[in-house]
Amino acid sequence: MSADASDLSLVRRVQRGDKGAFDALVLKYQHKLVKLVMRYVRNPAEAEDIAQEAFIKAYRALPQFRGDSAFYTWLYRIAINTAKNAVVSRDRSPVEYDLDRNNNDESYDMQGRMKDSETPEGLVLTDEIRSTVNAAIDALPEDLRTAIVLRELEGLSYEEIAAAMDCPVGTVRSRIFRAREAIDRRLREVFEGGLGRAEELG
Amino acid sequence: MSRPLRTSGRLASLALAWAVTGAATAEEPAPKRSLEYSPTEWLQRMDQALTTRNYDGTFSHWQGGRVEMLRIIHRVQDGTVSERLASLDGSGREFIRTGANLTCYLPDRRTVLVEQHPAEESLVSFPTINDQTASFYDIREVGHTRLNRRDTHIIAVSPKDEYRYGYRLWVDESTAMPLKSQLVDAHGQVIEQIVFASLTLSSRIPDSAFRPEISTEGFRWLHNDAAPHLQPGAAALAWSVTSLPPGFRMTVRSAQVLPGSAGAVDHLVFTDGFASVSVFVERQPAPSGQPLVPESATVGSSSAFSTVVDGHKITAVGEVPPATVRYIAGQLKAQGAAPAGR
Amino acid sequence: MNEELDSQLSAMFDDELPPAECELLARRLSRDEYLKARWGRYAIVGAVIRAERGVRLNAPLAGRVNAVLLAEPALAAHTTAPRDRRYARLRWWQPLAGAAVAASVATVSILWLRAQTPGGAALVAHVPAQVNVASTGASGQGDSYVVPRPKPPAALVPSTELANYVVAHSMFSNPVARGNLLSAFMTSETPPGGAEEPQSDVKALAH
Repeated sequence: MSADASDLSLVRRVQRGDKGAFDALVLKYQHKLVKLVMRYVRNPAEAEDIAQEAFIKAYRALPQFRGDSAFYTWLYRIAINTAKNAVVSRDRSPVEYDLDRNNNDESYDMQGRMKDSETPEGLVLTDEIRSTVNAAIDALPEDLRTAIVLRELEGLSYEEIAAAMDCPVGTVRSRIFRAREAIDRRLREVFEGGLGRAEELG
Repeated sequence: MSRPLRTSGRLASLALAWAVTGAATAEEPAPKRSLEYSPTEWLQRMDQALTTRNYDGTFSHWQGGRVEMLRIIHRVQDGTVSERLASLDGSGREFIRTGANLTCYLPDRRTVLVEQHPAEESLVSFPTINDQTASFYDIREVGHTRLNRRDTHIIAVSPKDEYRYGYRLWVDESTAMPLKSQLVDAHGQVIEQIVFASLTLSSRIPDSAFRPEISTEGFRWLHNDAAPHLQPGAAALAWSVTSLPPGFRMTVRSAQVLPGSAGAVDHLVFTDGFASVSVFVERQPAPSGQPLVPESATVGSSSAFSTVVDGHKITAVGEVPPATVRYIAGQLKAQGAAPAGR
Repeated sequence: MNEELDSQLSAMFDDELPPAECELLARRLSRDEYLKARWGRYAIVGAVIRAERGVRLNAPLAGRVNAVLLAEPALAAHTTAPRDRRYARLRWWQPLAGAAVAASVATVSILWLRAQTPGGAALVAHVPAQVNVASTGASGQGDSYVVPRPKPPAALVPSTELANYVVAHSMFSNPVARGNLLSAFMTSETPPGGAEEPQSDVKALAH
């Protein structure tokens, strides 16, 4: 199958006027983009603002996107330019850190709990989400866990994972899906006290 | 986007990587065999890490029922210590130290305090645990646990009397940084807590990291007069204490001029090897017309107490219970001629 | 929800769904809040696995972008299909179905802060003031004591003199105590005895 079909199908819908499809692209890439921007600005709130700006720019520039490159590659370049411009336009030079992890720095981040100046939820949920997801992953049967970790962490395709795990591609798809199901169940369980349905609670 | 695969070896190492770190991290240096450090040695290693390593972290500070986030950046370069502590919410205050210069930005008061402390350029001016300390604190390792996926040793420092506070410290096994620290009172109640949310130890931190983020336009700037060569004890009065809580002894006597103040202040430091108390004595006698009332204050969990002794205002400050600063302040005595009404 | 549909969603998220099915699913995804919420949760799981540290996992970023785009001209004429009304009030841009989260914020906050506050006993929550539980004890260590979000200090400010002393003393504290002291100083400290006039002479006592 052609690469990037997923993103392209959403992009084409946006180009035809369906703004809702753009939401899916934002949801999928927002963390990666914020993480990318944080190479340029250390402040997470600022990084989110810049990422937001990058998404808006991408939306406006979408008519010019032809599919020559992958959508994310194109988005990535927009984000870098936006971040660089934001940094240059500030009064002082930004705080820069050596992000090269190969020079024997001991560097780790603990559960990056972000301060949300708007809602208490922001403060709460990142921590809770992270630990819930990690606990859920730890609890997965090994074949499910391996499948989803290879997919999300190593970025392997289903075919590559099938080769690594010595099983059919269909099994890989099923394992990853079931892993996500199990994790999702826990995530929803923590906050809704039940399975699945969101309830109107006023 | 396919890449070459080694099959089972890769799976095995991946599984191991997940189990150990749970996430994508850079290779970590193999932890030293740390089984042999005593609890006191852990504390010493921790003090060393805090004062000599370069790091940048954000942490939550819990005290008095409130939680605030702060950022700390610390660097030692060519023997000079630079640090910046900034409140990430609320007050917006910043404390920046580069070598002998300390600057406190207080945007909520539109004031900047600038001090020079040449004597404090040295890295080691804090109390060090010694054999005496063990008489007054019970220091032991009470656990070995993973905190946010780091191996930590939990060191408990329990006071043997009510003159001092205790600590519980989660000391990171490989870096000896305190990832979590709790201040406890004599009843074991936690009264203050710091937990790091992020912490990066890096080899290089640029100078730009130590610039304040706030604008100081329109602020009042208070400097201490450049009078670094005040002779301690050169005042007409020499101050001493008649008695101290068990284990405390004087370790430093200096004199300085504080920002915004007109006169010199004698600064005495007392410590039991772990906790310390400063006593500041104004050389200028207090104006006789003004009624002066002993006053207690707290700064977080630290205690302060002001009173007047022999006509001079003294203030005791320390990370000890209020009774301890009151006690020490009350034991201060002037020796030497004390001319009235000067 | 439909398991086959969710399975397709999972495959599409990984770019492993045949193009024809992608087209169909993309159309559903664009207008189904529930699917969008699930899709968003898949992204979060990936972010956690990659340990994208420092990144807020529930940032309302997508919601904000959506809000901005509402005001933007559409790139082409398009009729949006009516939304699935069942989930019409879902805040799909939050990973956890929005309404439930909003209402249970109190619970969530308390859960989180139980982990953070010392000893695990205290329940101190940053919640909007309408949640009120009895407090026990002045130190804030009570069973469930709710404090409003800390605001910048208003009336009670330290004397500059005390500030000087605190900073001068901090150079002689042990490093951990110094961290505590300066942190407390950085946030605020409130000497009993009321406000200090910022313009007053720094040597004056509070009263």
